[in-house]
Amino acid sequence: MSHTDPVILALLALGETAGTAHDAEHAESCAHCRAELARLTEVVRLARDAEPGETLEAPPPLVWDRIAAAVGTTQSLNGKAPPVPTPVTPEGRRESRSRRRPLPAWPRRRLASGLAGLAAGLIIGIGGAIGVAQLDQAPPARVVAQIELSPLPQFPQWQGTSGTAVMRATASQQQIAVTLRAPARPGFYEVWLLATNGVSMISLGDLSAGHTGTFTVPPDVDLRDYSRIDISLQPFDGSTLHSKTSVVRGSLPAAALG
Amino acid sequence: MNQLSEEDVAAALSGGRPDALALVYERFGPLVYSIALRSLGVRPDAEDVTQQVFVSAWRSRDRFDRSRGTLGGWLVTITRNKVADALRERQRHGRVLLQVTGGASVAAPEAPADRVVDRIVLADELAQLPEAQRLVMVLAFYSDLTHEQIARVLGLPLGTVKSHIRRGLLRLRSRLEADGVAY
Repeated sequence: MSHTDPVILALLALGETAGTAHDAEHAESCAHCRAELARLTEVVRLARDAEPGETLEAPPPLVWDRIAAAVGTTQSLNGKAPPVPTPVTPEGRRESRSRRRPLPAWPRRRLASGLAGLAAGLIIGIGGAIGVAQLDQAPPARVVAQIELSPLPQFPQWQGTSGTAVMRATASQQQIAVTLRAPARPGFYEVWLLATNGVSMISLGDLSAGHTGTFTVPPDVDLRDYSRIDISLQPFDGSTLHSKTSVVRGSLPAAALG
Repeated sequence: MNQLSEEDVAAALSGGRPDALALVYERFGPLVYSIALRSLGVRPDAEDVTQQVFVSAWRSRDRFDRSRGTLGGWLVTITRNKVADALRERQRHGRVLLQVTGGASVAAPEAPADRVVDRIVLADELAQLPEAQRLVMVLAFYSDLTHEQIARVLGLPLGTVKSHIRRGLLRLRSRLEADGVAY
């Protein structure tokens, strides 16, 4: 007697209707196939049981700097951040949880939500590929400054938050890696360079959901004129201007700026 | 993406290559950090544990035996120990605080739940899959599309999608068997 086709077992584990009635019957009655199906079903269950927020997350850049310091290596990460993986919980899963039934009767949502997830996956894939391609070419960078970012006295609501900025330089460019320790709030955190004249500012970009980010300083910007780093909380209002809500701030030491 | 295989990284570590720790960190940093973050709940503690795990792995690299297990499994074990230490330390602080404030009880510290570790190991392996296969697996797990629908939206032959699903599940299972805790 032949065992159930391995592909059919895999599809059954995913909760699909696959194979013939005979296949289903065999998978029930044959000890080998039943065990195989149970193991695969457990893999599927573990994948689908991931809690919201239980995605794989890369540690902020300062962690490697501390490890390197502790073991006395000067090895940089090849100018390359750890690979950023695809989130295991695409948009829309959280809402679907309540409608979930036990395996294998995994409910099928509308095609539209699948397409939305697919689009997100493709964007992440493309973004990841471009990011890695660019970083692979980057020459090794050395750390030239590490500063603490602190809340301003005029914003008492941010007391208790803090941040770190690590500046790295190569012959051709400067990078600033920022980590913020602050609660998640509506909106998003954005990183700015503030001019020493107190008027101009340049947006470096937004922090990730993990409140970290690595930014390349635009090549025509002289950090001696823009030596302060500021993180703002920005509302989702479409405006590209600084919200005037500064969370933390710090100054790069003049010695590091040449 | 030209990611290093686990074997390459493990060989570099065993050989004591000076760049080995950076390689190990690049490959397993997200796994260790995510287990610590999920178990401890706060980023500064997860950052501390991640640092401790890799420093400890480097100092005890002679004790890693490639014939007895995977590098990922070894690092998961170290991570669980460091998380348990951090929770004990937290409880000790809690006790001192309670003695000062006259409080009643402290919840016992818990090691990271086995299923939490397994789910993160699985997410880590999912992230290692080749791009096309990862997309198929993500859609199969989370989008509620059937394999026929996945083939249609990705423009792939049905046989390719079936084979990605079958081999993807087997690969995830092997990784869980090697590095997982409860599986």
